[in-house]
Amino acid sequence: MQSRLDYFIPGGSYWPILGSVGMAALLGGFASSLHGNIVGTSAMILGFGIIIFMVFGWIGQVINESESGIYNLQVDKSFRMGMGWFIFSEVMFFAAFFGALFYARQLSVPWLGGEGNNQFTGEVLWPEFKAVWPLINVPLPDNFSIPKGIIHAWEIPAINTLLLLTSGATLTWAHWALMNKNRNQLITGLIATIVLGITFLGFQIFEYMEAYNHLDLKLTSGIYGSTFFMLTGFHGLHVTLGTIMLIAILMRSIRGHFNTDRHFGFEAVAWYWHFVDVVWLGLFIVVYWL
Amino acid sequence: MNYIILIFFIFIIYSLASALYYMMKDGDGSKRMVKALTIRVAISITLFVFILISFWMGWIKPAGVA
Repeated sequence: MQSRLDYFIPGGSYWPILGSVGMAALLGGFASSLHGNIVGTSAMILGFGIIIFMVFGWIGQVINESESGIYNLQVDKSFRMGMGWFIFSEVMFFAAFFGALFYARQLSVPWLGGEGNNQFTGEVLWPEFKAVWPLINVPLPDNFSIPKGIIHAWEIPAINTLLLLTSGATLTWAHWALMNKNRNQLITGLIATIVLGITFLGFQIFEYMEAYNHLDLKLTSGIYGSTFFMLTGFHGLHVTLGTIMLIAILMRSIRGHFNTDRHFGFEAVAWYWHFVDVVWLGLFIVVYWL
Repeated sequence: MNYIILIFFIFIIYSLASALYYMMKDGDGSKRMVKALTIRVAISITLFVFILISFWMGWIKPAGVA
């Protein structure tokens, strides 16, 4: 590693524009696929593929640059700063969605039921409306897919909580192994974490299928369905990304890229996984349970 | 009972945030980050066990279909 005085300037890169195209296709495609557009669904899948390609390609390039020894302390510092801003954006992202749930559940639904100074809203607009959560019996039910039930916390969600908490423990076990120079424990811990993450995703797919096919609980089920799928879906997307990053870290660990004094890549991914784990614990409590 | 969960959460977020601070501030050789994350995992598991017991004992009523 060179001194901080040698300034490192990276060459031009096509990964950012490719990532932007992938993101636009994914989100634009997802939005139009919600309106039943088949082209939108194809664009969404293509966008997802582009993003996966970009993630592996970009991470691969950074790893190669790192291993070739061209990075210095200044680059190390900028990686830490970059991670800090990324985490800040992630916290804001989930804060907005938890905020949306809080607003709907604690404020707007009770207002519709006549709470506060909204007595006439309840009495005149929809007299039969009951302001309860989960809001299954929505006003004007013909416009929505009315669920027959909800996902109960002490079924799949509880298993998933156990899986993610265990994955947090196995990752910490691997982290200690890295600090104590125990290579086998590091690799075993990472593999266990990845397997637990993939199992979590499998259970979530099963849960979504159950919700759609048997419970009629859908994105179109009104505010409850919307907030449910928005929060758990974006969390699932984060688990997917976290698993991909953990696979990259596992590959690097197998190749011996990390040691006790040089492993920022590992730390960043580990923190991200712990963050996703804590978000899930919050979801389990406020979305599924209470 | 909800306040107990909230207190657990404050400690979880505090330990997670301090791990972030150590990651940003310390070099790779420091063990402060992994220690903070270990505390984070331990409190989270304790919270889950607490929720499990609350459920069995009926201390907190879970959401049901209205």
